[in-house]
Formats: sequence, C-alpha cells, structure tokens
Amino acid sequence: MTQSGEPVIRVKDLKKHYGDVKAVDGVTFEVARGEVFGMLGPNGAGKTTTIEVLEGLRPPDSGTVEVFGLDVCRHPESIKQRIGVQLQSVSLYPRLTVTELLDLFGSFYAHHLRTKQLIDAVDLGERAKARSMNLSGGQQQRLSIALALVNDPELIFLDEPTTGLDPQARRSLWDLIKGLQAKGKSILMTTHYMEEAAELCDRVAIMDHGHILEMGTVPELIGRRFKERAVFFDTNLKLSSAQLGTLDGVTRAAQEDGQTVLYSRDVAGTIGALLALADSLVVEPKNLGIRQATLEDVFLDLTGRALRD
Amino acid sequence: MNTLLRLTVANIRSLVRDRAALFWTFFFPVMFVFLFGWIFGGSGDSKVAIGFVDQDNTPVSMGLEQAFSQVSLLTVQTGSLEAEKAAMQHGDISAIVVVPSGAGAAVAAKSTTSIQLYTDPSSSQVSQVVTQVADQIVAASNLHIAGGSAVVGIQPMTLQSTNISSVAYLVPSILAMALMQLGVFAAIPLVQQREKGILKRLGATPLARWKLVGSNVLLRLLVAIVDAVVILGIGLVFFNVKIVGSLIVAAGLILLGAGAFLAIGFALASFLKTEEQATGVVQVVQMPMMFLSGIFFSFDFLPGFLQTIARLMPLTYLGDALRQVMVNGTQVAPLGVDVAVLTGWLVVCLTIAARSFRWE
Repeated sequence: MTQSGEPVIRVKDLKKHYGDVKAVDGVTFEVARGEVFGMLGPNGAGKTTTIEVLEGLRPPDSGTVEVFGLDVCRHPESIKQRIGVQLQSVSLYPRLTVTELLDLFGSFYAHHLRTKQLIDAVDLGERAKARSMNLSGGQQQRLSIALALVNDPELIFLDEPTTGLDPQARRSLWDLIKGLQAKGKSILMTTHYMEEAAELCDRVAIMDHGHILEMGTVPELIGRRFKERAVFFDTNLKLSSAQLGTLDGVTRAAQEDGQTVLYSRDVAGTIGALLALADSLVVEPKNLGIRQATLEDVFLDLTGRALRD
Repeated sequence: MNTLLRLTVANIRSLVRDRAALFWTFFFPVMFVFLFGWIFGGSGDSKVAIGFVDQDNTPVSMGLEQAFSQVSLLTVQTGSLEAEKAAMQHGDISAIVVVPSGAGAAVAAKSTTSIQLYTDPSSSQVSQVVTQVADQIVAASNLHIAGGSAVVGIQPMTLQSTNISSVAYLVPSILAMALMQLGVFAAIPLVQQREKGILKRLGATPLARWKLVGSNVLLRLLVAIVDAVVILGIGLVFFNVKIVGSLIVAAGLILLGAGAFLAIGFALASFLKTEEQATGVVQVVQMPMMFLSGIFFSFDFLPGFLQTIARLMPLTYLGDALRQVMVNGTQVAPLGVDVAVLTGWLVVCLTIAARSFRWE
C-alpha cells in the first residue's frame, strides 16, 4: 500500500434521501491513492448509493464529494475518463461478444487499453468470441471487471464483485483484485462478505442505515472492540447466559446462528470452567471451538444483528 | 463520431442476432405483403372484369360492346351507370366503359364523339391494361367507321374502387404499418436496456448521451430504409406494383414517418418501467392503429366515432401520404396536411421524450 499526496476520494457529510428514506445520511471518509477501501454492510445500508454518487450517476443532496480533488457534480466528464466502474449485476448487450463489448467500451474513452491485453488480464481468452449472454456467472463478473479496466483507470469502483459466485470463482476474482492493487490502483469496493473485506481491504467502513458506524483497518476494528478471543459451541438451553457470563475470563456471552459465543480474555480458564459447568449439569457442549474475533463479530456487536440478516 | 458509429454497429449486431426482433422488424411486414398480395392480387385469374354501359343503343354502341366482349383478357357485364358504378366501388369490376346517348347519331353525322372510361388510378396495373385495350378498340372502330380519322375519342374518368381489392393500395399501406411498428417497438429494447442497467452502466462512462440516443435513431432509420426497399421490391417483383410518384418525396416521407413513430416509441419508453409492461403497452398502441387507420381497408365504412379516432392517428396520415405519392391513391387529406400532422406528432413526442427520459 502506497499512500501519498492527495486522497483520490474525499467525501464529507454526504446525504442522499429518497422521500422519507435516508439512503445515505451524513457519510464522511477518504480513500488514499493506492488504497483498497471496503464498504461493508447489509443490503440497504447505503453502500451502493454512496458509490453511485461517486461515479457521477446520482447527484448528492448535500455534502462535499470529490474524486481526484474534482467536484463530481462539476467535472463528471473528466472524472469518468479516469475511473473504472463495475456495477452490481449488469448484463451488457447480451448478444455482443466479449471482444466486441471491450472494443465498444474502449471507444468511449480518450485513452484505452488493447482488447487482447484486457482479455488476458481477466483470463477470458477462451471465451473471447462468446456472446456475453452465454458466459457463466463468474465469467460475466470477469468481463464486467475487464470493462471497468478498459481506460486503464486510476480508481476502480467494484460494487459487490463476488455476490452470487461459487467459492472457487470468488477466490479467483480475489486474486484478480489483488493483482490490481499490486499495480497501484486505488479501489473502492462494497461487499457483504466479511472474509472478502478481511482478505482484500486495507481499510473498511462498516455501514448501516446510511451511516458509517466504524472505520479502520480490519485488525484495528477487531482490536478496538475485542481484546478477547471467542469460545463457541452449539447452543444448549441448559447452559444459561447468566451462568456462562460468570465463567472465568468471560467478558460477554452472545447467541449467533444457533451458536453460543463467549468472548474471553482467558481461553484456557474459560474452557476449563465451561467443561466443569457442563459436567455438573450432565451435558456436553457440542462442536466446541476457539477462534479470533472477526469482522462478523464486530458487525454483530455494532448493530446487534448478523450481517446477512 | 467514431463512438456513434460503433454504438450503431453494436445496436445492429444486437438486432440481427435477435431472432424474435428480426421477425417483427423484417419478416412480419414481408409476410403481410405476400399474404395480402395473394389474397387480393388474383394472381391465378388474370381476367379483368369491366362494366359496359350502353346509353346509346345504336349499331355503333353495340359494335363497341361486342368488340370489348371479344377481348379474351376481359369479362364484360352490362347495366345502368349507377349499377356499374356501385359494382366498381364494391370491387366487383375494375373499370367501366360508357357510351353516351347520341354517340351513334354523331358518328352518322360524321362529327366527333367520345366514350367515357372509368378507371381507378390507384390500381395502376389494371387501369393501364384497360386503357390500352380501349385505345386499340377505339382505333379499330375509327378505322372501320371513318377510315382512321378520330371520330370516336376516349374521355378518361376516375372512380375510386374499393381499395381492399387493390395490391397497389396495400403495398404503401404495409410499408406505413412497418414504419409504425419499427418506431413504436423501439420502446421495448430501450426499456429493456434501462431495466437491465445497461443505460446506467453507459452513464458511468464519458459517452455523451446524445450519442446513445443518436445511435438508436440511426439504427431505426436504417431499418426503415431496409424495410422500405424490401417491401417495395416485393411489391414490384411479385405483384407488379410500380411507384408512380417521386422517389425523393417518397424517401422523405419514409424518413419523416419513421422519425414520428420513433419519437412516439421513445416517449412511451419514458413512462414504462419493465419489459413486460412495454411489450403490452406497445401492442395496445399499435393494434388499433393497424386496424383503424385505413391501412387494409378504407375507414369510410367505420362508424362515425371510430372515423374520428382514425383521423387522430398518425398512421392514417402516413399511409395516406405514401399512397398518394407512390400509387396515386385517393386522399384522406391533402399531402401538406399529412406532412403537417406527422411533423406535429414528431415534435410533440420528441419534446415529451426529451423531457421525461429516464436513464434508470
């Protein structure tokens, strides 16, 4: 990560309302040059609206929105020449081939990369002559990213680039995105996959109901809230939260997807006490395990609900 | 410019690779030309029915009747002028020969006289044949009666026959229908592109929006030209329908008509959200026009209120203008009015489209 000079994105107190719905309600953040910045949050958190204001697709109601130091409302054309955009689930001219689409999009820009080079970059060589409607989900996302790269942009917007993909296709897209980062591109991406944010992003902002709740590097976010590690097991009704909360080292007990999670400063002590308690009640905590707190835990802690509710 | 052309090419490729769209754009009107051509063209029976009205009842008029009857190309029926006119208007006969009273006397007095020949100029093929036959018969009579001096002449008259029997009437009508459909149907891909987010994605590039609209207009105008060439070509080759008027005026009308209906299509697209909606509404708009606008039959037969509706429809005027220019058809309105109405629709709908156009 090379962060130097002016930030590529500067957003200050951005608001965008649709009638009574406050899609984005006072958002402030900056993205440094060369940084991969992630916006995390459930559907309807305001991620896509924020990104579309930055892309010049929607005017903001109020606030300052600058890309490359330029106001998005006043200089949309020169900004659009320098950014790459991948939108959520767009099918483009379904009957055109990969090559035709890349050629077409290249013609929109003053400066553009060669189609062959783009096809190789996203590994679509074998499908170069296929119509976009006949591509698999993963291939369509690759095409969509290739289209975002036609003008060799300095800043790339990726809106949920891996939603709906199988794990293998997601992995290979991650590699692609890491490659872009290595080339020094600045990237603003949204996702609702915590592991994706943890894997790819230098910094993340957690959004909900149009606000940024917390912002920082992934270790910072976790460390800020959780000095503890998590002890988890399948929820058993005989083990009440009140009892669990008093076990050695436990700071807090939570229920999550049929699991009980104990945040603990002393994992060994907590497990010992837990097993002793279970023994006395003649129950066995099933699928007992230990893990670091994750972004998922951060989100749960911030909003009181799991991310994909 | 490069971008505009590339986008147009992209649109053309998308159309050509979409079989359903191709069917509606090209094969549907072609099918109509053949269908109606075969139904009304009478390609099997090449005889032309004419009426003969003898108001003279002299050897001269009887000789003429016999002469016409002997022409193998014609079947001749006789009757009063009223009856024969009604038959022609009804489409039973294609022409009427009238020998007025006093013709025989005039011939006997070695002065000149003339017979009247009613034809329908909008069915140019038939009227040409009948006129040629009549010319030959009259020339022969003159030779026989007066040694070749023009004692008997022909006074050409026009009478509109029922248009339904005329392929010539139908070819420009079907062209008008095709132009209407290609314009109104343009709403569907536009709504589709918006619904799928293609317009939004294009909005995130530096592409100027007028180029996007322009490429759609170019595509449709191109299709209009191809449609016109194909339909007129089939009319000429298979049904011998010749364009009698100015090709330049016809081309201008084709572009104006395509433009007006394209504007209607774009205006519709502004108000429609989903592809399903668009498909439905487009049918609701085009079906009544197809049946009420005097495309396949003259709307004189419709009840009054439907005629009023028909007179509001732009297709009525495009069909009328094309028929006037291409095959000398009778007019619903003067050509100037046709052009004015179409221009009016173009301007109003373009304004609506420009004001309420949505990119997502």
